[in-house]
Amino acid sequence: MLAELVSSLPATLADTTENLRRASDTLRDFAASITHVPEVEEAIERAIPIGASGYDPWGFSPEESKLQYSLAYWIYRYFRPVVHGIENVPAGRCLVIGNHSGQLPFDGLVVSMATLLEAEPPRLLRPMAERWFPTLPFVNIAFSRAGVAVGDPINCRNLLEAENAMLVFPEGTRGSGKTWDHRYKLVRFGRGFMRLALQAKAPIIPVAVIGAEESIISLYDFKPLARALGMPYFPVPALLPLLGPLAFLPLPTRFHLYFGEPMVFDGPFDDEDEAIEKKVAVVTERLQSMIDTGLEARESVF
Amino acid sequence: MADAPIALITGISGALAQLVGKALVDRGIAVVGVDYRHLPDAVGYPAVLLRANYNKTKIEDVFRRHRPTYVLHLGRVGNLKERMNKRFDLNVMGSRKVMDLALKYGARRMLVLSTFHIYGAHPHNHTPIYEDEPLRAGTAFPQIADAIQLDSQALTWAYQHDEVKTMILRPTNVIGPDISNAMSKFLRQKTVPTVIGFDPMVQFVHQTDLVEAIVRSTCDSQAVGVFNVAGRGTIPVRRALDLVPGRKLPLPSSLVMSLLRAGSLVMRTLPPYLVNFFKYPCVISDQKLRTTLSWEPAIGQTEAIRSTVGVA
Repeated sequence: MLAELVSSLPATLADTTENLRRASDTLRDFAASITHVPEVEEAIERAIPIGASGYDPWGFSPEESKLQYSLAYWIYRYFRPVVHGIENVPAGRCLVIGNHSGQLPFDGLVVSMATLLEAEPPRLLRPMAERWFPTLPFVNIAFSRAGVAVGDPINCRNLLEAENAMLVFPEGTRGSGKTWDHRYKLVRFGRGFMRLALQAKAPIIPVAVIGAEESIISLYDFKPLARALGMPYFPVPALLPLLGPLAFLPLPTRFHLYFGEPMVFDGPFDDEDEAIEKKVAVVTERLQSMIDTGLEARESVF
Repeated sequence: MADAPIALITGISGALAQLVGKALVDRGIAVVGVDYRHLPDAVGYPAVLLRANYNKTKIEDVFRRHRPTYVLHLGRVGNLKERMNKRFDLNVMGSRKVMDLALKYGARRMLVLSTFHIYGAHPHNHTPIYEDEPLRAGTAFPQIADAIQLDSQALTWAYQHDEVKTMILRPTNVIGPDISNAMSKFLRQKTVPTVIGFDPMVQFVHQTDLVEAIVRSTCDSQAVGVFNVAGRGTIPVRRALDLVPGRKLPLPSSLVMSLLRAGSLVMRTLPPYLVNFFKYPCVISDQKLRTTLSWEPAIGQTEAIRSTVGVA
């Protein structure tokens, strides 16, 4: 009996090794299918033609960004967005202006993926990020390669002049940190985007994002903790008692994106604040009415 | 050659100035080379070589005797191997003296070689940086004050003295097989430290392109003011270092900084303020120079780096 067992040992070992090898192959194939989404890779290749060097001066790399956008694809799929009016996103320079919500910037990610996958030709939006991102090790590389640029007006103007499509949330963190009682109500817009649109003669494409507000419901902004952690806000999610730390992850709400018709503004970019604010108000009114219409049309949060 | 116009070149002990001299001689211009350092025995073409501190009376003798038409002040002391006082003396006082003497002895065209380092590599930098933007480097590294003052003083001087048409060039990292500045030496090191977690876009201008830009700016243009020289293309710094044969040694930036600070006490090494250029971008635009000279740099990033480190 023992002798039998011993004699079969090499075969058993070989079987185990074979099984392990198969398992690791499966795992690797699975990882590859997550990090290489052919649909995303093809869209990136069509979105921005870059010269032979493979990088633009801001550090964007179509080749290296395939990883980031392939990973983002699964988050995009998680929110199962319904995209309306994508044909309003033009070729050439433009500013895509959205309502910011949902505590974490998944709204930006979903809008970017929508223009990449749904627009014809695919558009790769260049998001403007907080100025401290270049100081974060590794994050700065991943962001730059994916086309994120430092949120500086001159940077934005230079990118527009290079015919890029910019993604801007003029509410900034005031918008993304909204608590439940302020959901789908635009807070004050900055004026910078309007001055840039006027200066670069770039059309504004409003985009209403519906569904992000419910992905992480914040009941309260715990300001002292936010200050202590150096964060712009610290949400207290509604589901915290039920889910604990998991409540900081987004629920699989369904996103609805409404891209509006291009808005073109005329006039001096260095006009008085009051004059610029009048133009900004035209955009906020338009966006708010798109949000309201979208909310009315929505049948379910999921 | 008796009637040939004369170009006075400072920094003639350096490779770049010698290459510029060669290109000027090829254009039929007589070259007088000056340096405060040891002079080479010969530069491979006919030229008068003189040793003089830019801030001493002897430099005036050179101007008085040769009365140059062109003055190319390429002799900026580029790194920290000289003590602060001496760098200030040469870069600020000396440059001022060279410019005043150019005016006094009737030079018509002057070119001052500055550096893009004075913009500073900073996390808030936008891309690209144009000539009229603030010079941030001093906020992080006061040691670079002499270079900032050299540049600002030259620019002010240029607009005060219309008689001498003065152009200031701010080149990005200058590299090439003959160049032995801090960056070129760094690329040739056997062990090349890299900064963990950062990979900014960088630019290199090859010696051939910079020499061409300097000579054209001097001889073919009357433009006044400051001009960036960026070279051809941009490249992530890691990609650049992948092209050099030295062994890469990834280190946290704080450690790199400490090592360089300690190292600079005992040997000539990369100035510590350059570490930020391996962390944050400082990408400049030279569109203004390209338009002014109707010229474009010819040598791309890969070729420039390979030729500097001697890899085919």
